[in-house]
Amino acid sequence: MSDHFDALISAVSPELYRYALGLCQNPDQAEDLVQETFLRAWRSQESLRSATAARAWLYTILRNEHARLYERQRPEVRDPATLPAVPTRGYDTSTEAFVLRRALDQLELEYREPLLLQVIGGFSCKEIGKLLGLKTNTVLTRLFRARKALRDVLEPELADAGGGEV
Amino acid sequence: MDCLTFRRRLLEDPLDSDAALRSHESGCPTCAEFARRTRAQETRLRALLNVTPPPELTERIRLAVSFEKRPTRSHWLALAASLLLAVSIVSGTWYLSPLERRHLTLVDAVMAHVYDEASHMHQEDKVSQVQLAQLFGSFGAQLHGDLGQVNFAAECLMRKKNGIHLVMPGKMGPVTVFFMPDEIPSETMIVQDQRFHGEVMPTAWGSVAVVGELGEPLAGLAKRMADSVNWPVRVSRLDVPLAPLTPPQA
Repeated sequence: MSDHFDALISAVSPELYRYALGLCQNPDQAEDLVQETFLRAWRSQESLRSATAARAWLYTILRNEHARLYERQRPEVRDPATLPAVPTRGYDTSTEAFVLRRALDQLELEYREPLLLQVIGGFSCKEIGKLLGLKTNTVLTRLFRARKALRDVLEPELADAGGGEV
Repeated sequence: MDCLTFRRRLLEDPLDSDAALRSHESGCPTCAEFARRTRAQETRLRALLNVTPPPELTERIRLAVSFEKRPTRSHWLALAASLLLAVSIVSGTWYLSPLERRHLTLVDAVMAHVYDEASHMHQEDKVSQVQLAQLFGSFGAQLHGDLGQVNFAAECLMRKKNGIHLVMPGKMGPVTVFFMPDEIPSETMIVQDQRFHGEVMPTAWGSVAVVGELGEPLAGLAKRMADSVNWPVRVSRLDVPLAPLTPPQA
């Protein structure tokens, strides 16, 4: 393995792990997804034409791997309110985190996914649209609805103040 | 911009710092409160998702890749530099672990702290002089000047060192001030990104950082803050004479 690919693993694997965990809510499967993503990237690097697209490309591979996982089997989804089997550093065990984690899990994937890409990946709405094959306006709508849904769970008294339906 | 549009855009991206949004927020108390709570929720969400991967993950990936046949044509040399740069820019400092934060430059740490605790920028509970005196007193410091209106004041932790975090109203928006007794830069350092600007100014006892929205007039503010406080000077490591290079003669 080249030093450069090794550096890529160090640089990008943490955020890919967070994205994977947000998708499948299972720490073990998140690790598997990230590993498989880098293996596929290593095998298919010649399909990558642009350096600037490399990061988004890794996210796309991971997303495809996650979809493939769903095709093969319904992955085991742990109750997001419980601790992972292997203690994960940074895992907040407060009541507030419990409620937020559960609310996040209850979001449909079509809303959760753009939210994860924006928050974890730092992608713009246009970039998220390219990754997910959606128009930018659709991405904006899903981000709005995702946060409004979280807010309605966390602060039900503000449910009527969330800006109305799109 | 009407309230409905403001709230929709805020939920689409709570970190959007568009001037039209800021303008509406400053003129509509109800939406300002909505924004404060939305940003607080965003901070909690980002903290929740900021999970540090298992430490053995990268080794596991390296091992798996090492069993793969090496591709005949490598693009990684060119990709590595640009991707690493992109990652560092895009990921910013939201997802740095506490361990990583200790190795941030002081300027990066200041900016990261401003974003991490952005919810404090919108607090409007005026802090009394008594509360400020107590806070500074807990560091052995005394206020002997008027800092002006302070809307938030608390002890904070930056690069594993304790300091004081204040938020004050400015012309363009809230101004954040950090008193950092254990951070002594050799010279004044500029802080700037797409949204904020400011400086970190060394003092005899540490440093003062001031950060405000772009366009906020900050000239002289750090010095005024420093002059308003009588902070005991500690003996820093730099003040301790170096040990002789050769052992003393018997």
